Amino acid sequence: MSPKNLVIAAAVAVALAAGIFLAIRSTAPAVPASALILPEPEPVPQFSLLNQDGDKVDQSVFEGQWDLVFFGFTHCPDICPTTLQVLATAKQTLAGMGQQPLPRIVLVSVDPERDTPEILGQYVDYFGDGNLGLTGTIEEIRKLTTELGVYFEKRGTEGDNYVVDHWAGVYVIDPDGKRHSLIGSPHVVDNYVRDLPILMDDR
Amino acid sequence: MRAALLLLAVLLTACGAPEPPLVVGELEITKPMPGRRMSAGYLVLANNTDEPLRITRVESPQFNSVEVHETTITDGVSRMRKLAELTVPAHDSVTLQRGGKHLMLMGPKDLEGAVTLQFFSGGTPILSVNYTFPEEGDQ
Ligand SMILES: [Cu+2]
Repeated sequence: MSPKNLVIAAAVAVALAAGIFLAIRSTAPAVPASALILPEPEPVPQFSLLNQDGDKVDQSVFEGQWDLVFFGFTHCPDICPTTLQVLATAKQTLAGMGQQPLPRIVLVSVDPERDTPEILGQYVDYFGDGNLGLTGTIEEIRKLTTELGVYFEKRGTEGDNYVVDHWAGVYVIDPDGKRHSLIGSPHVVDNYVRDLPILMDDR
Repeated sequence: MRAALLLLAVLLTACGAPEPPLVVGELEITKPMPGRRMSAGYLVLANNTDEPLRITRVESPQFNSVEVHETTITDGVSRMRKLAELTVPAHDSVTLQRGGKHLMLMGPKDLEGAVTLQFFSGGTPILSVNYTFPEEGDQ
């Protein structure tokens, strides 16, 4: 091989290696570190609840956007606002990075006795625009949570001072209104910023 | 002479600015959420004495009641419970933080000025601290 051909051969080899490298990079699926993607994208069960404006909504409320669904109650001053603040901060950070689409933050009340649409509305609005609050009868809330496997239980019924134990994770629902993944606690902003674009790219 | 100096040093340590038995650090009180009537307090309690300190009651003139609560997350489920008392071990500290032990401040009366927290052990007041909310948009 002449020196000139050798140079060309080397250049071709480098180019091939680079091409293979790029191909590997672009096809290797990014794996979310904090989320568990569900094997089957099952639809959300049927329910009839109220949004924060007092309008009746059903399971189709989850169609059209990615939703981060948290199950909590507004009488909870510790874990609920802390979690919603993590979600809101992560969403703001992603917006600042130019991420599209952005997920919606949803709070499903596990304490409909005290969480009226109005109270829930003030609460979710505190964490930014476009958030959704869902409340209603305990039966309709149970239709949603039981099927999703979301635990909650009222405790310590001394008057109005009771608390509600509840699953502290976040359910991710895709724009078809189907269950996509679960993100467990503790909730960390950096995990959401890294994983949400991967999740929302998955379907 | 050496003995006298040593004695003097011991006396100076003992007399100069006696350390309070209980010290509060990293105090943060959240404002109640819109439309809500409760908020949370977070802080570190340090015990400078040789004995464990039991905090049996916390009061605040700015709230109807103050309780010590603990949020635990077990098997993914969040539970919040009232603690009857809080013990700070000798020469040790207890941290009250988000998602863990916290002060539950219920029924705010006046949050325009500073918030005072009074810690009691049995009937004895052992510490009183003030907290001023940061200016709006200061966080
Ligand atoms: Cu509490």
